[in-house]
Amino acid sequence: MITVNNLKKKFIKQKNKKEKEEFYAVDNISFTANCGEIVGILGPNGAGKTTLLRMIAGILIPSEGEIYYDEKDYMHHEIDIKKNLAYLSGNTKIYQSISSYELLSMCCEFYHVPPRIAKERILKISKTLEMDAFLYNRIERLSTGQTQRVNIARCLVHDPQYYILDESTSGLDIISSQIILDFIKNERDHGKCILYSTHYMEEAENICDRVIMMNHGQIIATGTPLEIKKQTKTTNLRDAFFVLIGGRSYEK
Amino acid sequence: MKSNLKYILKKELREVFRDKKSLMMMLIVPIMIPLVILGMSSLFNTQMNLDISTYNRVGFSYSFDLVEEEIARNLNIDYQFDSPENLQNQLENGSILLYVLKDGNHYTLKYNANNGNSSLALGLVKTFYEQYKRVLQEQQLDLLNVDKSVLDMVIVTEEQVLENTFASTYIVGYAFLFILMAITISATYPATDTTAGEKERGTLETLLTFPIRSRDIILGKLFSVTLSSIVTGIVSLILAIISFQFANCSFEIYESTPIVITLPQIFVSVLVIIIFSIFMSGLCIAIASQSKTFKEAQSALTPLTFVSFFPGMIAFMIEVENNFWYSMIPFLNFSMILNDLSVGIISISCLVTMVISSLLCISVVIWYIIFQYKTEKVLFSI
Repeated sequence: MITVNNLKKKFIKQKNKKEKEEFYAVDNISFTANCGEIVGILGPNGAGKTTLLRMIAGILIPSEGEIYYDEKDYMHHEIDIKKNLAYLSGNTKIYQSISSYELLSMCCEFYHVPPRIAKERILKISKTLEMDAFLYNRIERLSTGQTQRVNIARCLVHDPQYYILDESTSGLDIISSQIILDFIKNERDHGKCILYSTHYMEEAENICDRVIMMNHGQIIATGTPLEIKKQTKTTNLRDAFFVLIGGRSYEK
Repeated sequence: MKSNLKYILKKELREVFRDKKSLMMMLIVPIMIPLVILGMSSLFNTQMNLDISTYNRVGFSYSFDLVEEEIARNLNIDYQFDSPENLQNQLENGSILLYVLKDGNHYTLKYNANNGNSSLALGLVKTFYEQYKRVLQEQQLDLLNVDKSVLDMVIVTEEQVLENTFASTYIVGYAFLFILMAITISATYPATDTTAGEKERGTLETLLTFPIRSRDIILGKLFSVTLSSIVTGIVSLILAIISFQFANCSFEIYESTPIVITLPQIFVSVLVIIIFSIFMSGLCIAIASQSKTFKEAQSALTPLTFVSFFPGMIAFMIEVENNFWYSMIPFLNFSMILNDLSVGIISISCLVTMVISSLLCISVVIWYIIFQYKTEKVLFSI
């Protein structure tokens, strides 16, 4: 279970040539994500989704608030938590000058997976994600979709308990996206805890058990997709979002 | 908790040794070292064994008497007589290197100070007139019936006590400076690539999501850059030693004073190479870590190449003597120890001071970078 309490992230931006201004990209966010559950973090660009997930993954340090993984405080158990964590974003970059196999072996070493088990696991994952054809090719020669599959494989080698996936399907073709969505559902069914951010509302509606809608760094709604649609008297999450922010802001 | 240091080191070494640019930077300066050593040796050799025919062309605006003619012949002076105007033209077009104007017993030597051979001709003509003056003085004393030994009241003789080691010392000194430069250039590229380059490519963010301590990340990067710099330093040293041996066999100037590099000198050189590699790698990583892009890091590191080279070059030129305080100053201490080494001096106290001072400096720098990698500043500069 991932527990987030009163999380805040303050940034400083240049207001004009001389003045600087503080602002909260994430403002007092609290929620819980359980094992065997996909929790969707939804919102438009600039809503604070990526900042929130980066803090949960330990890439950014919160200005205020706490993050717990199964009651372990992130600040004091960073390395232990990271052993059970996989972070993947649409922008996650991997080493280009090595082959997929070398990359996955390297990740196994970082997670201290014994070499014999590592080899078996890499070959199994490669089969599952249909990577056999390019497993020994240098990553720089792979397509975007193939690279993202290698990225998913990278997240699987240590069999993590928690997944933090930040717009991991953005920019991918329909086949590659489907492979990722199938993988997410499969991991959920194996009792994993998944935080999944996207700005594709339809996609979230299809795979998320619960969603957290964000705007301007704050939570504007939380619940199952059905509950949110009921609450906003809409038929889909896209319309629900506009109702929650008080109408189609671009029309104003 | 198992350390990931060896896996980070493995990853970094794979990147350094697979990258063509890193390999090129590791070897480009070492390859130039034999060229520098042999080129400089050839230059010294030419200068020290200069044939008299290159600087004996002298013009005179008056005719010789018999004494002058004989002395000129003995000194191999290639003389000619002409008017002052024509001699001036010939000096300007280089067909003579010096000419002499006579006014009574006053002789004026006109030469071109910008031409090295003209300066050598000056020395030759001064000898000519000293000998001529001596003959005239002796003739006059004979006429006056005075003992000629009055001219020898003060006798000065020159005797070379030690062999002239200027050329060999100079060349060894420069070779050592080039080794420092090779290490600096070798450290710069991989240090930039592994920090700012990794940040720019976005892989650093990925690396920070693994269960790896920032200490292991930094030390892994430091050791890989250090190792590539040490390889460069050792290759440079080996090439320099081979070139010294080749120069000893090929050039006359080393016949009486060959370039000798002893085992203790090699040992100290290797020690300096290792410490300087650690120091430069740490410094390069620290500077490059502050940059957002590869290009920015390269710009920030360019002055370091000069900073590493110039203190040594200046110390070498003005012959500064090493001491405890100089051994504590980063950059200067390495050059000073290598300068001492080029003249065969090994000062243990200066060596120990240099090692301690360098390791202390680099510990502070590394501690600072490890601290930076614990924060998000290293990724986002906020």
